[in-house]
Amino acid sequence: MAESKSDVLQGTLDLMVLKTLESMGPLHGYGIARRIEQVSNNGLSINQGTIYPALLRLEQRSWVKAEWGTSETGRRAKFYSLTRGGRKQIEQETENWERVATTMARFLAPSN
Amino acid sequence: MDWIRISLSRCAAFFRKRKLDADLDEELQAHIDLAIEENRRHGMNEKQARTAALRAFGGLTQARESYRIQRGLPWFEEARRDVRYAVRQLRKSPGFTLTAILTLALGIGATTSVFSVVNGVLLKPFAFRDPDRLVVMREAMEEPGRERSVEPDNYLHFVRLKKESRTLEDAAIFQQRGMSISPTGDHPRIIGSVVTSPNLFRVLGVQPMLGRDFVDADAAKGAANVAILSYEGWQAFFGGDPKVVGKTLQFGGDPTTVIGVLPPGARFPRLTLAPNIATSASLATMVFVPLTPSDWDLSAETGNFNYSVIARLKNDVTLAQASAELEALQNAYTISAHLPIHLGIALTPLASDVTAGISGALWLMFAAVGAVLLIACVNLANLQLARAVSAERETAVRAALGASRGQLVRSRLTESMLLALAGGAAGVALAFTGVRLLLALVPENVPRLNEVQVSTPVLLFAAGLSITAALVSGVLPALRSLRVDPQSALQANSSRAVNSRDGLRTRSILVAGQVACTVVLLIITSLVLRSFSRLLRQDRGFDSSHVTLAQVDLFAPEFGDKLPNSKAVKLAFADRTLTALQQLPGVQSVTITSAVPLTGETWVDELKRPDHPLPEAQRPLINLRWINDDYLATMRIPLIAGRNLTAADRANPYVALISERTAREGFPGENPIGRTLSDIVPDDEHSVTIIGVVADTRVNGLKNAAPMVYIPYWTFTPWTLTFLVRSSEPSNALIPEMRRSIWQIDPQVAIPSLKSMDDQLSESVATDRFQAMALSGFGAAALLLALLGVYGVLAYSVTLRRREFGIRIALGSGKDALIGLVLRQAAYPVLLGTGAGLVMTVIALRWVRSLLYQTPVMDPLAVGGSVALLLVAGAVAATVPARRAASIDPMRALRTE
Repeated sequence: MAESKSDVLQGTLDLMVLKTLESMGPLHGYGIARRIEQVSNNGLSINQGTIYPALLRLEQRSWVKAEWGTSETGRRAKFYSLTRGGRKQIEQETENWERVATTMARFLAPSN
Repeated sequence: MDWIRISLSRCAAFFRKRKLDADLDEELQAHIDLAIEENRRHGMNEKQARTAALRAFGGLTQARESYRIQRGLPWFEEARRDVRYAVRQLRKSPGFTLTAILTLALGIGATTSVFSVVNGVLLKPFAFRDPDRLVVMREAMEEPGRERSVEPDNYLHFVRLKKESRTLEDAAIFQQRGMSISPTGDHPRIIGSVVTSPNLFRVLGVQPMLGRDFVDADAAKGAANVAILSYEGWQAFFGGDPKVVGKTLQFGGDPTTVIGVLPPGARFPRLTLAPNIATSASLATMVFVPLTPSDWDLSAETGNFNYSVIARLKNDVTLAQASAELEALQNAYTISAHLPIHLGIALTPLASDVTAGISGALWLMFAAVGAVLLIACVNLANLQLARAVSAERETAVRAALGASRGQLVRSRLTESMLLALAGGAAGVALAFTGVRLLLALVPENVPRLNEVQVSTPVLLFAAGLSITAALVSGVLPALRSLRVDPQSALQANSSRAVNSRDGLRTRSILVAGQVACTVVLLIITSLVLRSFSRLLRQDRGFDSSHVTLAQVDLFAPEFGDKLPNSKAVKLAFADRTLTALQQLPGVQSVTITSAVPLTGETWVDELKRPDHPLPEAQRPLINLRWINDDYLATMRIPLIAGRNLTAADRANPYVALISERTAREGFPGENPIGRTLSDIVPDDEHSVTIIGVVADTRVNGLKNAAPMVYIPYWTFTPWTLTFLVRSSEPSNALIPEMRRSIWQIDPQVAIPSLKSMDDQLSESVATDRFQAMALSGFGAAALLLALLGVYGVLAYSVTLRRREFGIRIALGSGKDALIGLVLRQAAYPVLLGTGAGLVMTVIALRWVRSLLYQTPVMDPLAVGGSVALLLVAGAVAATVPARRAASIDPMRALRTE
């Protein structure tokens, strides 16, 4: 009954997925997971499976849309792409994060 | 707005589960395949690639689970799973399930039926406009030295009050009478009728659905006879004929035209004239006729308190304000008219007035049924607790596999909820039967009985009750499942005894609670039973066996008071009937009286002594009866002093007999024989001389002996006569003969009542009997349930302690010692419960006192008997498990687990 690691990162995971899609274009679930691992320099060892509930969440909010397609290797897979709502969400979330980061930085700076 | 979209998507996904699941599987498979491909590109072999891929993915099952939670309606699916599981568990123990459902069905069914009656009689508002604005208005009389008494209304006082009052919007005055209706002109039928001022329906806020309402002209002297029928009357006499307006029927011997019909649901309540005047079995009101006030009505400033009044308060006026204003008006009138007695007013809301006599008994019954239901729920809780304890292992396994606390509690509660729903549904079905049963058993004079039915508020009540039952009986076991420590429960050994002792304590407390409720119920039941038996067994002063009575109403035109010789006609009828009845087989004596016995006080008048005049305030009240010389013989009432009436007294008719109480109150310390009473015979100036004193009897009602004055019927013959026949023949042989004889003399008279005196006696105590019977039933049920509880706890504890008992026996303990051990364990909850029950009884008895007749509240026989019964029964219930404990085979007990 312990909480899984991804529960803590739910909100941040969503943002990471959106950013990945923004920079990489339409991508399948495996691709998104691998890309997140790479970008975080393997510093974030999440279970890849947690990507799927996150993708469903984003789909329910209409920030991404899904389509079946074929991978480079000819494998049939589901591809996700950003919607306009998704792009707007990225802007909003990025703003929030930056604000939080700036405030925290001020607190964490050595006192003068 | 997001959540709407998400909820819709979740709902949609719920219905497309299978396809979506297939999609997900394919997607996950693709993920794994792609991962394997990449790993192979990095140089791993097939097997390593697969392992690495799976490891990087995390749990496939977990992923699917989280996905599904995100996707569908997880709580709904969980609930569905819980229900299916609970159903499976319940099916596995059919004994428990059936017992539980049956217990609940009986409890809920009984409570719902009783609530239906309570709802119909007490709670449902009348079908009139703004019924809470309607009040019953009666006059009150205050005389110095006497308690304020409530009386019916006088016509002139009503007219004056209505004119002068500013708090009443309108008021109607009326009389309720049994009248004869005769479609064919012969053998009339007696029905309930209301003779009323023309504005009654306007006051009530009801409009006839056919024809028209009364107008003031209808009540004028000499106006044509008209009537409005109630809906039931219309159905009964005209079969619901839509062209009934204009048709005629014989009403009280007079041809009357129907001018209107009331809508269904507008049932007119039966009001008592005053609190001490009982209503006989209620005749549903079927006909309304306008009241033409007589000369007597219009001239009598005092006396003539014979009417009932319903008034409507103005919208912004409270009952207290109206009361105060009317009281003041009465005061002013008392002073200005120099009245010897002080007049007042008594206002009661219509709804509470109608149900005044019965509400206490009904609520008591309701409380009793509620107690039984509570005991049943507690029993259920006990049973479920036992199940929960024995299912500890299963609960532990589920907890270990990852079930949250919420899930465990919910799954236990689901079982209780299912049982309660099934029990509730069965209970509602039983309630329909129960209501019908109750309506058959309940005494007829309970008001508004015809409005009782199983209706929507009742069904809602039953549903709420089931859910509460589920929660009450499910909470404890559910909480229990939370306290299970998985590790120790999974171990098969001795620590189980520790956990179970906990459960045992709870169960014992529950049993103690059950016993307490049972004690209260038993004590109240025995008190009511003793009160009832005392009512029946006390000395009545008369002998009712072998007596048949016939009430005859002289409502035919030839007896009418407008005729000059009506007196002679009535007297002739009475004489001829007495003679005819003498001829019946086996007759020992025949007598006549002016009121049906055991129907309350009537013909109440003041005792006026010309030799010792008293102010009106201090004159004692007496009941007047018109009898013949055989009255004492027929009723077997002893003569105390002086002499009885004889046939010779026809020559000097102005004689009277008085009862002991009248002698005490009217002639204290004197010999009443030879004294006279004045102004006692209607329309007659003569005084009567007292010739004898007879014993007190409870002939008006079993609860007290009223002061009586008996005058021969040939001095004055009333319109309503009751003939009493004492015969060696049984009543059912006599009854048709009596009817034939009477109708042979005059087929136009009505015979509203013809039955044996024993039946009449039994009917007069019908309410008390019903109470006694109902409570006994509940008491027995409660006792049974409590015993089951005691037995259950003990049996269970013996099973738990098998090993311990086995060891004891092996170590040489005697069987008696073991039985003693078990019995001692039973003693705690039973004794504790009994003690608590006694305390609760003392608290509750304040309310019960009003229902008892001359029985002290802590009647030692009742209390002692109930406690003894419970203890003995408890001991019996405990014996079975005790013997079982003593006969445990030590080898077997030690070996098994």
